[in-house]
Amino acid sequence: MAKTNRSSPLRILTVVPICDGHDSAINTINLELVHAGAEVVYMGFHRSAHAVARAAVQEDVTAVGISSYNGGHIEFFTEVQAALKELGGQDIRLFGGGGGTITKTDATLMHRRGVDRIFFAGDSLDEIGHYVMETYRASTAPKSPTALRTVRSDREIAKFLTAAENSTNAKASSKAKPPLRSAAGLRSPLVIGVAGPGGAGKTTLIDELALRFLHADPACRVAVLSHDPSLVGNGALLGDRAMMIHAQDPRVFMRSLATRGQAGGLSSATERCLRTLKMVELQNHGRFDAIIVETVGIGQEAAPFEAALASQVDKKVLVMSPDYGSRLQLQKIAMLDAADVVVVNKSDLAGARTASNEIEHRLASNGRDQRLVPTIAKRHRDGGVDKLFALLRG
Amino acid sequence: MGFLTEIAAAVDNYRHFVDTQVRSAREDAVVRQEVIQRWQRVHESMATTLTPTGLKLPRLALPDVDDPGEIARYLYGQGLPGEFPFMNSAYQQMYLSSHEPHLQAEEPTRLFAGLGLAEDTNKRFHYLTKQQKSMRLSTAFDGPTLYGLDSDDDGVFGKIGEGGVAIDTVEDMQRLYAGFPMDAERFSVSMTINGPAPIIMAMYVAAARRNFGAGVIPKLRGTVQADILKEVQAQNEMIFPTDASLRFLGDMVDYATRHMPRWYPISISGYHIAEAGATPVQQAAYTVSNGFQYVRMFKDRGLDINEFGPRLSFFLDCGLDIEYLALGRVCRKIWAIGMRDIFAANDRAQRFKLHTQTSGRSLIARNFKNNLTRTAVELVLAYANATNSCHSNSADEPFTTPGAEYVRLAAQAQAILLEESGLFKHMMNAMNGSPGMHAVERVVEDAILAEFREIDALGGVLQAMEHRYQRSQIQNAAHRYEKQIWDHTRPIIGLNRYREDGDDDGHNGQVKIVRTPRRQKHKQIERLRQFKKRHAKKAPAALESLQKVAETGGNVFEELLQTVECCSLGQITGCLAEVVGHFRPTV
Repeated sequence: MAKTNRSSPLRILTVVPICDGHDSAINTINLELVHAGAEVVYMGFHRSAHAVARAAVQEDVTAVGISSYNGGHIEFFTEVQAALKELGGQDIRLFGGGGGTITKTDATLMHRRGVDRIFFAGDSLDEIGHYVMETYRASTAPKSPTALRTVRSDREIAKFLTAAENSTNAKASSKAKPPLRSAAGLRSPLVIGVAGPGGAGKTTLIDELALRFLHADPACRVAVLSHDPSLVGNGALLGDRAMMIHAQDPRVFMRSLATRGQAGGLSSATERCLRTLKMVELQNHGRFDAIIVETVGIGQEAAPFEAALASQVDKKVLVMSPDYGSRLQLQKIAMLDAADVVVVNKSDLAGARTASNEIEHRLASNGRDQRLVPTIAKRHRDGGVDKLFALLRG
Repeated sequence: MGFLTEIAAAVDNYRHFVDTQVRSAREDAVVRQEVIQRWQRVHESMATTLTPTGLKLPRLALPDVDDPGEIARYLYGQGLPGEFPFMNSAYQQMYLSSHEPHLQAEEPTRLFAGLGLAEDTNKRFHYLTKQQKSMRLSTAFDGPTLYGLDSDDDGVFGKIGEGGVAIDTVEDMQRLYAGFPMDAERFSVSMTINGPAPIIMAMYVAAARRNFGAGVIPKLRGTVQADILKEVQAQNEMIFPTDASLRFLGDMVDYATRHMPRWYPISISGYHIAEAGATPVQQAAYTVSNGFQYVRMFKDRGLDINEFGPRLSFFLDCGLDIEYLALGRVCRKIWAIGMRDIFAANDRAQRFKLHTQTSGRSLIARNFKNNLTRTAVELVLAYANATNSCHSNSADEPFTTPGAEYVRLAAQAQAILLEESGLFKHMMNAMNGSPGMHAVERVVEDAILAEFREIDALGGVLQAMEHRYQRSQIQNAAHRYEKQIWDHTRPIIGLNRYREDGDDDGHNGQVKIVRTPRRQKHKQIERLRQFKKRHAKKAPAALESLQKVAETGGNVFEELLQTVECCSLGQITGCLAEVVGHFRPTV
């Protein structure tokens, strides 16, 4: 197996339960944990126990933190534990809090059922940060992915990805590759790379694309590899899941990666993780039908899907919003040369028409077959996203 | 330039207008004469009252000034109670005790309740109103109801009846208000529901119709919160995308404006914005700007501002920060000026009608009986701001759905303030007009207007929301608040100051923790299943019809009045989501 870097950051999932929108405390705690050096995958609020367990397994986190303010916490924690077990993630730890709504008696019962710690009003942020970093740091032991001919579960995929992400060199990682059968009869996944500046709507667009994949074929399986930047102190807030609706579907495998110091929009582990995902052979299914790679918000100079990734990515999509500035700015955006499809999202905004015209003009000067698609990804059943989906699927 | 900037400019203009009036009163003999005569008339017509010890007091406290300029500054700058710009109060008289029963104002006390199943909450309602002439029921719903889910939906079992009452069907709604005169003048309800507000309100109307006949509809009195904008900005209880939610809200307001003259179809709420961590100024700025945004939308829909304007009401949090000394006063002024000068609304529509709730966030579990004091201080601030109605929190709220003992203490705290103490019952404005209050008014007003301009610079309320402006501002404020608690720059007694081991945190078994037993949860699920079974034949056609109305842009609320007769909440939200999609959360 791969040599796992012992100093790889602690990964934690945080969430607010179903029928609960109290995200004020968890937002503050997320920041605290990130500053303490953890990679925090934040799922947002109003999430079901099954969705939480699935996400925890896919993200291969060490522990899940649940912030519950609306009652029903004993049931919810228990349901998450049961769902984790079902998915083979029984070693994923649970902690949580809920101000004063979780009583000491409740907490005692929850401890007995295997919850590590419940925090109460009056426990300081420092205390929470320390506890999480100390308790779970120690248990971040490298796990060996089981070598099986066919990958049976999200759990196994997740372990392969962890090995790929944490391996210090590419050579070592090659040993942790999932079983590779002869390629005969197996379709290669369609790999879509999605890049664009922060706030252009990449996550929404990807979620809407995932929905269309799921609808188009009731057996379709999709993977999403999503990136968020690491802080200098090496923690990261991986928040894309919080905005996803359709990517919570059991047929979607999503993994959030922190850039861990790498510039340019992706992580140094992206290529290894992508190779892994491409080779994964799912039980009774074959490979993933599509893999979508989302960059962090990128700058003008970034060309994230070139070099090592160039041969790995089938379709390169640049997502822009109409407010990129002047026409001159367009000349400086490197990815406008590399993209196969340029999406002008938020095309309901004033100036969208002009933006589309200017970008079209800019693309024409490249003399390649590049397509431009205006979308309003936030709109239900948006025709632009339908068109993009058709284009990408070819 | 957006309307928020125009409103900010109108408030600035109004200040100049007041300054001009002050100058004229001093320099222009005719104006001076008018002002002095008016002041004399106010004094001459003023009623008096006797204190229990036999002292005679005027019914209205006025500043002790005789300079015509200062008189003008008071009359125009603040206005007498019930007069533009309504700084002192929305109405001429409030809270005053009277020996003539027909002059007795209705009690401003409202208590929010909701727990377990409909019949449990019904019992609590009967208990709460036992001694009240007017019955004002304020209803809290459980998590599944707030998110438009059914009690039998996957994964919500633990949440049934927790933190509020479980409502799945029109039959639950009948159980909830059983035994109350829904058709009577002295009866009104308030329902804290937002995402599924049109569906829940349709259930209420349908329940009343079942019990009292269709003729009851114009007589129904009540408020439904239905504030979609604050949900997106702070409270996160959304079901449908923002634009679809706003459309359904518009349908409901449209119907209520035409058919339910006594109904308040929206309660524009800052409470949840403040509870999510906003500063008092942010709370006021976002709430009032949301209010103006609704006015713009309803006007654009073709509704008459003088019809719907008087049916808008507001709901603010009152905490312990000094800004609360004048927050309600400033909001009333900005609302009145904006409604009059930018939206050309009449006098009735200019009045900012305010419900206040004491701050839940200010209460803590540790040494929880201190919460009685916190709430009492907040009540004084709320009533000093002439709130039209008020809910006082129970001291046990940080750790349980309030138990009867602490609910009663909370309600009686208001009675002590209003009936036992002499602060509010003898005279209007006894607490108003201190230099400190004026100082707070000025800085708060400036800060709110600065926020208005900031929101407008981002393209207005809706655009700013898209940019997550309000959310991130609230989150930053929440983060700062937490930090201040932990670095002890914000003292919380018993938590970061004067803390002792063994302080009672309510968890020692002496305070009853209110929970909904499992068998009750199963009972609710069973009832719902029976309902679905009984209506299995009719429901599909009703849902199809609803879907068609939603797709073709018809009035969804009117259709819901039929749909709720045979479909459950979860069936209906599921059906509408197929047409308009789901709300996409933001972080």
